[in-house]
Amino acid sequence: MLLQDKYRIALLSAYAVALHAFESLLPTPIPWLRLGLANIITLVTLLLYGIRAAMVVTLIRVILASLFIGTFLGPAFILSLGGGVTSTLAMGLVLSVTPRLFSTIGLSLIGALFHNIAQLVLAYILFIQRIEAILLISPFIILIGALTGTVNGVISDLLIKNLKKTN
Amino acid sequence: MNLKGLLSSITIADKILLSLLILLSFSGILFIKEVLPKGCEVQIEVNGRLVYVLPIEDNRIVSVKGPEGRTVIEIKDNRLRVTESPCHNKLCIKQGWIESGAIVCLPNRVLITIGNREYSNIVDAITG
Repeated sequence: MLLQDKYRIALLSAYAVALHAFESLLPTPIPWLRLGLANIITLVTLLLYGIRAAMVVTLIRVILASLFIGTFLGPAFILSLGGGVTSTLAMGLVLSVTPRLFSTIGLSLIGALFHNIAQLVLAYILFIQRIEAILLISPFIILIGALTGTVNGVISDLLIKNLKKTN
Repeated sequence: MNLKGLLSSITIADKILLSLLILLSFSGILFIKEVLPKGCEVQIEVNGRLVYVLPIEDNRIVSVKGPEGRTVIEIKDNRLRVTESPCHNKLCIKQGWIESGAIVCLPNRVLITIGNREYSNIVDAITG
């Protein structure tokens, strides 16, 4: 890894932490509704620097942002960590298996979907233990994930094209 | 901003994935209630004491005795109503058939609720 790339990853982590913390300040109509803005940074890192860099950025983001917000090691932190790691792994796996099948938007959708699945599974195992409640809420969460995933994918795509242009 | 370039970079797999997700979630929203077990039961409380817990599927007529007298509750076809009550304004009888929620007869201190007993113990909040 070049020194320049290390700087970039540090910078990307800083952006991700800022977005994650900013997002937690936004009021949302429903408590579990999140825009997943930090996933934009994960996706950009994945496409520009590979899965290892993306995982590093995700871990730094989840840990630092939860320290700033004050949820470190709490339930929100566990959900955030599980969702972040799973979605990064899923996007990385899809990208390495079929690099051309999905565009940035498709990858973002996969990331959002796996983020939500991981959180639902974790919520079931750790907190709720009520399968009917989880099943009842899953379709709404997947639908919102599809919408925010598309928007984040479009933003990531524009960001990546602009970054490649300036290099 | 290059929207045309963006649209051309969308692959068929993207579109299939997005439509599948939307289809899946919409059908989930529509059909998940059908799949879930109903598990509803009728609870009848008199004077704050739980006297009957009955499955809503049972067709039967129950009579309970409150401070004012006899209240008769009819359970039929997954719904219920109060057919007889000693109270003065008969609001409980006027409420008619209910499939969910509750019927309350204050004068006779009778409370009939349809629901799942386990749900009443659900956690209100978890603090981090």
